[in-house]
Amino acid sequence: MSALHLAWRTIRRYRAQTLLAIAGVAVIGALLFDMLLLSRGLLLSFADLLARAGYDVRIVGGGGMTLRMPIPDSRAIAEAVGGLPEVEKVALVRILPARLARPGEAQSASVALVGASGMTAGVWTIVQGADLDGASTEACPLIVGRSLAARLHIAPGDAVRVNAEQAGVASALPAVTCRVAGVGRFAFAAAGDDIVATTLDALHRASGEARDGDADLILVASRPEAGSAAAVAAIQRARPGLAAYSNDEVLEQFNRNGFAYFRQISLVLSSLTMVFAFLLVATLLTVSVNQRLGEIAALRAIGIARRRVAAMLLWESALLVGAGGLLALPLGELLALGLDRILRQMPALPEQLHFFVFEPRALVIHAAVLVVTALAAAAYPVWVTARMPIAATLRREIVG
Amino acid sequence: MDIVRANDVSRIFPMPAGPVAALRRVSLTIGSGEHVAITGPSGCGKSTLLHLLGAVDAPTDGAIVFEGRDLASLSEPERARLRLTRIGFVFQRFFLLPMLTAAENIELPQAEAGAAPAARRSRTRELLAYVGLTERADHLPSQLSGGEMQRAAIARALANRPALLLADEPTGELDEATSGTIADLFDRVNADGTAILVVTHNPSLASRASRRLAMRSGQLVA
Repeated sequence: MSALHLAWRTIRRYRAQTLLAIAGVAVIGALLFDMLLLSRGLLLSFADLLARAGYDVRIVGGGGMTLRMPIPDSRAIAEAVGGLPEVEKVALVRILPARLARPGEAQSASVALVGASGMTAGVWTIVQGADLDGASTEACPLIVGRSLAARLHIAPGDAVRVNAEQAGVASALPAVTCRVAGVGRFAFAAAGDDIVATTLDALHRASGEARDGDADLILVASRPEAGSAAAVAAIQRARPGLAAYSNDEVLEQFNRNGFAYFRQISLVLSSLTMVFAFLLVATLLTVSVNQRLGEIAALRAIGIARRRVAAMLLWESALLVGAGGLLALPLGELLALGLDRILRQMPALPEQLHFFVFEPRALVIHAAVLVVTALAAAAYPVWVTARMPIAATLRREIVG
Repeated sequence: MDIVRANDVSRIFPMPAGPVAALRRVSLTIGSGEHVAITGPSGCGKSTLLHLLGAVDAPTDGAIVFEGRDLASLSEPERARLRLTRIGFVFQRFFLLPMLTAAENIELPQAEAGAAPAARRSRTRELLAYVGLTERADHLPSQLSGGEMQRAAIARALANRPALLLADEPTGELDEATSGTIADLFDRVNADGTAILVVTHNPSLASRASRRLAMRSGQLVA
């Protein structure tokens, strides 16, 4: 007849109290769990988006990571970087504003035209038709964003007219006819963004830019045995002054600036939820102990050791918090899905960026916080029973 | 042979209105196999004396010697062990654990004393039969009558074969007929060799004792 057994029988006896405590801990625990998912959710989601592209180093123009500026002499840089032993592959990316229309139709849509050299699987996901490499014989193959394709009733195989613009200035060049290879979801596209992707050569043709024109971004994949840090170092050695960043550095920069608010909010809210859980369980246990003072004093009088009574109360606390904590996980997951859907409606956020992302670390912290809460909540009732004057308590209980 | 001896014990409770002397220089010895009853009006110090003899409270002055050991020299875990193995307690309000069955309540002190599960079950069956509760073994206290609860409490007190059974108003919550049953049971326990000290208002219960003492204002008067 262990302390755990006694605790289990006690919480089963006081069912209404137990159910209330478990429900309370489950709700509070769900909030705590969500705050833990939120604290690093954006960072993890952003890291996933970056990693999905298959490139772990970015070379950008003079504006740094946040302000996009063309990189002069991009082709030569790409060739030089591609020749480094630490580098596996290089892709050039150019983004221009453009207008897109069906042949024969006057109405056109403003789009962001992305031209990419090399394969960029991961930046977009094909949901219908084929990828650019599956249409390599086409002079101007296109991947059209899902919402744009739906709005203009465009399907793979359709011909469209693309008229690229230079820095917001309407082009005098005639529109280029392209063929839609596939419809896709763009990883970094916000909900209202209309994006169209094609090869870099096709973009140059549509815009009239020189074939060795500037790129806005050079994506570099390091060799696995070298790693991104070594690739960045090699690039900077080969081309001093070039702004090259590994994905880790990009994440670190966003973590320091863009995502700090969420971390702070989640820290404050998770601390508060922990205090609520502590107060709830401590109150219920204290009330429960006060109701059972006579029983507990009698237990002590018949020789049940103080540590066993304390262990029984600790187990009661652990069972209440443990059961509530377990229920908090599915509840928190449901709540996170709802909150994520709401937060993702914020404008200009990539559609595939999530605020609440599960990671095992969150589960470990959730469990650790609940263990601490259970111990802290039991501390006062344990102290009360440990310090209880047996004779005086028995006398009070009889007289009362 | 003496089981417990109180030497000139006093117990003073500090109160906001000033200290209250519940016991004043009381001396008492209970020998092996004795059946002692203490009677007296409420608040005269009967329960306080019982608590001191049962090692749940300590005297302000004087000494309690249990089986040759001065209780003041024992640590709290040692006193708890003494209560567990050498003393049985029976309370007015029974104080059975409400979430355990009658059998489990009787098993609890045995488990605490480290008895093996098979030995515990065997002893529990024996005690349930002894107090006439075999059929009620799996009932919760809330499913038992007052008399049955008190019999289960007596069985619990006897679980570890104590040398001394201390009973504080054991019939205080029971009707006359049931009190008689409990008194019979005490007689049987005593006849089987366990010393009993019973503190009671019940003259009928007190009359069963081989030695009857009276208390007034914190002192033994007879």
